[in-house]
Amino acid sequence: MSHLRWLMREWRGGELALLLVSLLLAVTIVSGVAGFAERLQRGIVGESHQFLAADLVLKTPRALPAEAFAELPDGVETARVIEFRSMVVAGEAMELASIKAVSERYPLKGELTISDEPFGLPLASREIPPAGTAWLDSRLFPLLGIEIGDALQLGDVSLRAEQALITEPDRGTSFYGMGPRVLINEQDVARSGVVQAGSLVDYRYLFAGASEPLAQVQTALQPQLTVSDRWQSLDDSQPQIARTLERAERFLLLAGSFGVALAGVAVALAARRYSQRHLDTVAVMKALGAGSSQITRLYVGNILLLALVSALLGWALGLGVQTALFAMIRDLVGFTPPAGTLRPLLAGAITALLCVASFALPPVLRLRSVPPLRVLRRDLGNESLSSGVSAGAGIAGLFLLMLWYTGSVELVLAVLVGVAVILGLAGILVLRLFTSLRRWAQGAGGVMKLALSAMVRRRQANAFQVVSLALALMVLLCIIAARSSLMKEWQLQLPTDTPNHFLVNIAPDQVAPVDAWLDQHDIRSAGLYPMVRGRLVTIDGQDVYEIPEIEANRGSVNREINLSWSEQLPEDNKLTSGHWWTDSNDAMAQVSVEEEFAERLGISVGTRLGFRIGGLPLEAEVSSLRSLSWDSMRPNFFLLFEPGVLEAYPSSSITSFYLDANDKVLLNDLLSRFPTITLIEMDAVIRQARTVVDQVSAALELVLVLIIACALLVGIANLQASLDSRLHENAILRTLGASRQLIRTCLLAEFALIGLLAGLLAGVGAEICLYLIQTRLLDMEPSWHPMFWLAAPIGAASLVAVSGWWFCREVIVAPPLQVLRRL
Amino acid sequence: MIHAKNVSKRVQVADSELCILKGTSLEIKRGESVAIIGPSGSGKSTLLGLLAGLDEPTDGDIWLAGEHLNALDEDGRAALRARLVGFVFQSFQLLPGLTAQENVMLPLELRGDRSAAEVAKDYLNRVGLGHRLDHYPRQLSGGEQQRVALARAFAPQPDILFADEPTGNLDADTGASVNDLLFSLNAQSSTTLVLVTHEPILAKRCARRITLAAGEIMEDTGEALPA
Repeated sequence: MSHLRWLMREWRGGELALLLVSLLLAVTIVSGVAGFAERLQRGIVGESHQFLAADLVLKTPRALPAEAFAELPDGVETARVIEFRSMVVAGEAMELASIKAVSERYPLKGELTISDEPFGLPLASREIPPAGTAWLDSRLFPLLGIEIGDALQLGDVSLRAEQALITEPDRGTSFYGMGPRVLINEQDVARSGVVQAGSLVDYRYLFAGASEPLAQVQTALQPQLTVSDRWQSLDDSQPQIARTLERAERFLLLAGSFGVALAGVAVALAARRYSQRHLDTVAVMKALGAGSSQITRLYVGNILLLALVSALLGWALGLGVQTALFAMIRDLVGFTPPAGTLRPLLAGAITALLCVASFALPPVLRLRSVPPLRVLRRDLGNESLSSGVSAGAGIAGLFLLMLWYTGSVELVLAVLVGVAVILGLAGILVLRLFTSLRRWAQGAGGVMKLALSAMVRRRQANAFQVVSLALALMVLLCIIAARSSLMKEWQLQLPTDTPNHFLVNIAPDQVAPVDAWLDQHDIRSAGLYPMVRGRLVTIDGQDVYEIPEIEANRGSVNREINLSWSEQLPEDNKLTSGHWWTDSNDAMAQVSVEEEFAERLGISVGTRLGFRIGGLPLEAEVSSLRSLSWDSMRPNFFLLFEPGVLEAYPSSSITSFYLDANDKVLLNDLLSRFPTITLIEMDAVIRQARTVVDQVSAALELVLVLIIACALLVGIANLQASLDSRLHENAILRTLGASRQLIRTCLLAEFALIGLLAGLLAGVGAEICLYLIQTRLLDMEPSWHPMFWLAAPIGAASLVAVSGWWFCREVIVAPPLQVLRRL
Repeated sequence: MIHAKNVSKRVQVADSELCILKGTSLEIKRGESVAIIGPSGSGKSTLLGLLAGLDEPTDGDIWLAGEHLNALDEDGRAALRARLVGFVFQSFQLLPGLTAQENVMLPLELRGDRSAAEVAKDYLNRVGLGHRLDHYPRQLSGGEQQRVALARAFAPQPDILFADEPTGNLDADTGASVNDLLFSLNAQSSTTLVLVTHEPILAKRCARRITLAAGEIMEDTGEALPA
């Protein structure tokens, strides 16, 4: 008999639909969500690489010979950036500026934003300044007293101010002491004669391409590099974005694997019901002469065909899901989604096969052992489906699926063992509860007695139903809670009033007027922090250059560090060891050190640090270590002294504040009043970071919708599993004279109790799992969810009661004989 | 055609063993029509299952068309049934997902018959359901379903037809017409008929009647009765 014809007949029978839908959902999740996540990830990484203006950057204080780049692998693009500080002059006015000279093709990632007039409307530009022209930060125009088209002098070269520069993708965050930006063509550097041997210059070599050729570039250039040269990738340049992405990816994987696992459970339930309903068919076929191998061929062929259909359909649906998802977040995604790969098709096919092999085939394969005598004795053959093999295969399949999907044995084992322990205990508990219901049933009267007796009779099936529903609900609650705490954390990290402008180099006599100016314009600053620049020269009396352990962190000591002082521990700082200032008679000054800085240099509480500030020595003892949030966009310092230590040294102040885009014109007034102050505009960088967070959050929300579909499917498969016996029993009750009202109430009571128990278990289980997920996996503070304890049981009781009644309504509506004959 | 020698069937019930058939022997010749009768629990259906090779005896030997059933495994017995045996069941046992015609085609397709559709159509015409080929069992009455089952049983032209209470689920009138059809088809095809029944009228239409009680043959008419 043809497998296709057999499949078509089976399909008409209507029993394959749930199996196909479950398989389809599993494949769709994998090919859709994994494909979407992969493309989104590539897109976001591409977007985030704009912060570097490349995929990979080599930062060096010296120019590398052109031969070093002579033989780059195919597919790698390069560009050069030279940065230095120099005076720019226009007539009588001169200003110290941060000059950035760029080569053709800059930026490799992202784009330049310019404007036709200072502080004007931003326009994207794919060009760089032609030789002989300069693009200037808006504020330089008033500072130099020039307009668009006027000339300015940089060293020996005269440049025409052609555009106002709003921002470059890699404007960077090492802004202390940085002056207003002047962007020029690299050809003008040599003509200016500004860069001489010994000048303080940063060279950055930009590379873009696939990760493999980029790795080759790194390997090829490595022999020519010295300790002062550094590679920069996304992780180094934007640790916050990298962390956000990493967490989002973990969450997507976690949610996706839970989704696939749920769909797997639905496949198993649907296959079990399918097999259950085919016991009679197989017995008849065997009585009519079909051999076991013929039965196996037919049914296995059937299931494999179904797997093939779901793999292809699921892939197509997955593509649709990807397109829909991208369309839905069109406004958030600032990039064209990268093209899809064939990986989702393969992934979907493997998922379909794994689902079929571990969840669907075991119960279907057992059909071969249905005895033909069942045609005469219907009690035979039922036991053939209740084998531990199915459970074993299911668990093995779940393990393989989740492992393949997440690639983390540790994660999968933790989830599976955790879930198994919780569900095992829950199963025993529920079974005991149902057994003890028997006593209540004897004492109860009327409807309750009927409902309770029905539950006791089906206690094993009911316990299974409660536990599997609890599993689906638990997964759902976990995903919802993990998602909202992630989103909350991200939003907390970047609130809308995050400071987006910094003022540095505020002279001591400017502190009060600047503060007054900010007050006058209702601008709330993060506070004015004094800043003294000094070098760390000794640790516990030993010259830092003689400490071999800090060789790798030479960058931390090979420069001037910003030192500050504060009476109070700053708002977003947290002490991790030691204590804040104590009154001590000890003559030694106290200093508090940022913990990561301390770790890099092997500093702990009690370490003595020697500084050189403006040629004068200073010694201090570390009294505490602090953690702080660099992402808060507030002034932060590696080293904070107690008050009274640094005041005697020459200092300047720093502050940051939030300024709405519409108020940016105020900056002209500020800069004309305090021309020596350096203003750093971070709003574009913050906007970029917020876009990434928005994109990721939207993606997570959409994944949640698919998980809910999976949980619903498990619920439906679960209800259907016990449907026949319920229909049969209730049809008999109706035949014996039970009223529709009685049956309806019994059904609602039974299903509500099942939902209530499942909801309670899910609430408890989710709380335990969330604690583990938050503390172990997502690296977050654990949170408690009292709402789960109330909402989950009530919600589940109502949902299960209503949907259970819906599925069983036939027994209430149709004449009992019709129901009995159909069964 | 069928030969059973000292056939016993015992099953384990809780801690004790229940003997359903006790050393039964019988011989049924080609073309004979035999009714197995007796009260409930007397072992009628068990004997039918054993003779058809649906079950294995605890003791004794059974031969079907010269083949020693004891020597065959389940697949061997299935192959033999496919070749020689047809069934009619009390609960019809039509597959709900298949149409009337597909149900009749099923045994033909299982043995690889390429003309299954035409043969099935022909037999459904013979049982008066030529106009309901595409109807599903749930769309047919009990009597109609049993007529489809008769078509399915006779379509492969089996040597032996086993019928288990073929009219047990039908009212008297419908049952009578199904019985007429059964015997008429049987007469046309000269099939050996072994049927289990409670109904004396139906039993009387068979040439031979074997009466069982408590797992033993109480009476075997062993001779043909006038039709």
